[in-house]
This record gives sequence, structure tokens and C-alpha cells, in this order.
Amino acid sequence: MRILDVDYSNFRRKKMKRSGQIKIQQMAFVLVALMLFFAFVFLIYFTFKISNVEDSVTTLKEEEAQELVRKLSGSAEFSFSAEDCSNCVDFDKVLILSERRNYEDFWGLDYLEIQKIYPNSEISGKECTRQNYPDCESLKIIDNSGDRGIASGAFVSLCRWESDKGGYFKCEIGRVLASGEGIGK
Amino acid sequence: MSFAMIFSIIVGAVIIFFAIYATTRLVDTERNQQDTEIGKELGILLTPIETNLESAKAVKLTMPSETRIYNDCSKLSEETFGNQKISVATKSGVGKDWTNPGVPSSFHNKYIFSSDVSEGKNFEIFTKPLEMPFKIADLTFLWSEQEKFCFVNAPREIETEVLDLGLEGIEVSTKIENCSLESKKVCFTKSGCDVDVDVNSKSVKKKKRTETVFYEGPLIYGAILSEPGRYECQVQRLFARASELASIYAGKSSLLSVKGCGSERLQPLLGTYSNQTFSVENTIELREIYLLSEDIRRQNENLGCRLF
Repeated sequence: MRILDVDYSNFRRKKMKRSGQIKIQQMAFVLVALMLFFAFVFLIYFTFKISNVEDSVTTLKEEEAQELVRKLSGSAEFSFSAEDCSNCVDFDKVLILSERRNYEDFWGLDYLEIQKIYPNSEISGKECTRQNYPDCESLKIIDNSGDRGIASGAFVSLCRWESDKGGYFKCEIGRVLASGEGIGK
Repeated sequence: MSFAMIFSIIVGAVIIFFAIYATTRLVDTERNQQDTEIGKELGILLTPIETNLESAKAVKLTMPSETRIYNDCSKLSEETFGNQKISVATKSGVGKDWTNPGVPSSFHNKYIFSSDVSEGKNFEIFTKPLEMPFKIADLTFLWSEQEKFCFVNAPREIETEVLDLGLEGIEVSTKIENCSLESKKVCFTKSGCDVDVDVNSKSVKKKKRTETVFYEGPLIYGAILSEPGRYECQVQRLFARASELASIYAGKSSLLSVKGCGSERLQPLLGTYSNQTFSVENTIELREIYLLSEDIRRQNENLGCRLF
């Protein structure tokens, strides 16, 4: 006759060990879930934050371009100083300026153009070069990006020296257009 | 205590620690971002106060809270025109009163003369064009309400300018005894003050500093307000721009000479001026540049089609 000797204490220990393992697994799952939750929260927060920062950078650059374009006629490279004239741009000087590469990053702009508005009936669309100057409509000084967003503008007087009738300074109506760095991107 | 209890206490503590750490970091980042934005806005705000036909302009700037404005200037090694760097730190009631300034905003077309760090809620800003012989740029002078200056026996034109513009923080006096105690004494006729100005040699020397800097025209305010190193850096940047402008005027003179303007005789002088101003090593060179600029100015005035 065989006597079955069953060790119940070992069985209980194994059962307890298994239930402990399940609890650890549960906690590990909870921890992973918590980590994922926080990761998502941070991800959403940073996405929101970065878009906010990008917006404020664009706004600041737009503001900078607007302020700059209003005061550009007073800056040394543009000002017409041969006579006392507020808001006058020296067109002769600006033509030379457009040929100089050193000024590309100077104002923090991606786009800077001078347009002649009046009179321009016969010269519409012509870009200024030394050959066709002053019978031309526009002069690009900076053109760094294809997409320039909405350019800020300001009206100015475009003044230059004319040699006819013994020589005099002639002023026409023009506009300065500028777009901040990276706005169109 | 059961394992679950110990486990949840440890995990809870770790989560709370990370939450506090993350919040502190976020507050710091937020503050830094805000300071960076204020720095850029300050630079933008300086544009409308640049001059056009005016000989000088003065404005008061009030910040929302106590602010430190850091003025830095980088030289011309990499870029033609160097850089004006402005950064800002604001005082906060949360955490440390002052933290590091925000990311500096760079401007190639601004020239600010001030202390390296100006602190206060209200600032005085004064702009004046530098013309040698043509307009080179607008000089911006900045100081806070906490910085007071007393000009003793200043030349008539400076005295008039300070009084006419109503520049707060600058007293004008004929006797050093009349100056307020907290003010920095700027003496024009005697030495031994906080700042000694020699109007004959056009030089400025500060107390406890060995360097003497030289000035011409409105640069006198810059030499008084700025630290010598910062002043020399700004002067270098200004004259690098003057060099470019001289080349532009030389180009303009050749453009107009075809039309019979007679401006071609200014070209050699403008060329010399451009070479001389291209890299100003020391402000002592200003005197020579000034004399050359006067020569150009006289010749330009005789032209029928003045270049500037």
C-alpha cells in the first residue's frame, strides 16, 4: 500500500509566489501606463508650446519688419540728405546699394524692394539695372526667399539727380516693401 | 507593511519629485523665453526712435517690472558690420529674484551705448545721428533711473542739449559740490572725478580704469556711458559701416559723373576714407578720420549735385 505524501506547505508557497508575481506585473503595467500618460501629456504640452513660440517669433519678425520699413528712409543707406527732406529715399544711392552683397543680412530681412508708384505708365514691370535706370519700376535690394509672406510697406519719395535744365533733384512717389527673415517659411 | 504599500510609497515619491523638478524647470524655461522675447521687443522698440531730420530724440522707457538690460557688442571678425546684442533678465517674485538673461537678440544696424548691465524699471533713451561727414548711423544712449550723472562745466552745446531734451538722470552744474551724492561726476575741466573728459584732446578717462578713449561729435556721450572695451567695439562697428557707405557714395559719384555732375573729384577722398575706416583698431584714429571727413564735406558742399 502506497501512502501519498503531499506537501501542502510547498503548494501554498508556490501559490503565494504566483500571486506576488501577478501583483508585480500589475504594478509594472500601472507604471508603464503612468509613464506613457506623462509622456503624452508632455508631448502635447511641448507641441502646443513650440507652436506658440513659433507664432511669437513670426509676430516679432513681422513687427520688426513693419517698424523698420517705416524708418528705412531715415537710415544712412537710404536717406536723401542732399536737401532737407523727410521720408525721402536717395534712389541713386539705393541703386548702388542693391549691387552690394554685404548688406544681405544687415536688416534681418528676407525681402526688401523699392517700387516706383507714380509716374510709371511706360515702365511698368521693369526691374532697375544700371542700363535702364531711372526708366524702371522696381529695385530689389534683398531677395533671399521665394515665399516672403505678407510684406510690410511704407510710402516714400524717391529722389534722384537729373542733369536736364542745368541739373535739379527730382522726386517721385514710391514704396518700400519688406518682409522679415523666415516669415514666409 | 505590505509590499504593495512600500512600492506605492516609493513610486509616489518618485512621481512627486519629478513633478516638482519638471515644474521648476518649466518655470525657468518660461522665464527665459519671456526674457528673450522682451529683449527682441526692446530692440524693435528702438527703431521708431531713430532720427530722420531731427538732431536728437529722447524717450522714456518703462518696463513692467524691475529689469536688467545686458548690452553686448561683438566685433567684426566674422561679419562685416559686427553685432549689437541685447539680452534681458526680469526680476521675479517666484524662485530666485534674478536668473540668467534670456537668449541675446542680435542687430547689425543698432549701436547702443550704456553700462554693460543697466538695472531698473524706468530707462532713459536718447538717440543722436553720427555724421562724419555723411550720416553713418543713429547712436542710442541708454541708462536707468538708478544711474545718475552730473556734468560739471560741460561745454555750452552739451549743456543746452541736455537741458532742452530734459534728460532725467543727467544734472548740469558748474560746481562739483552742487552735484547730488549718488551721481557719477563727469568733469570737463578738471581731473580726478569719476569720469574725466578732456575737450581739447577729445578723450575720456574713467576712474580706476587705465584706458583712455577718444571721441568725435556725439560719441562723447558713448564714451561717458559705456565701458571702454564696449565703446571701442561699437566705434569699430560704426566705422565699418562708414567704410561701406563711403564705397556706396563713391559708386554714386561715378554714376552721377556720367551725367556731368562733377562728383568724380570726390572719389579719391572717398576711397581713402573707406580704407581708413574699414578697420579702426583704436579710437585715437578718430581725429584723423574726422579731418578727412571735413575735407570731404567741404568738397561735397561745392558740388552742384551734392552726394549727401
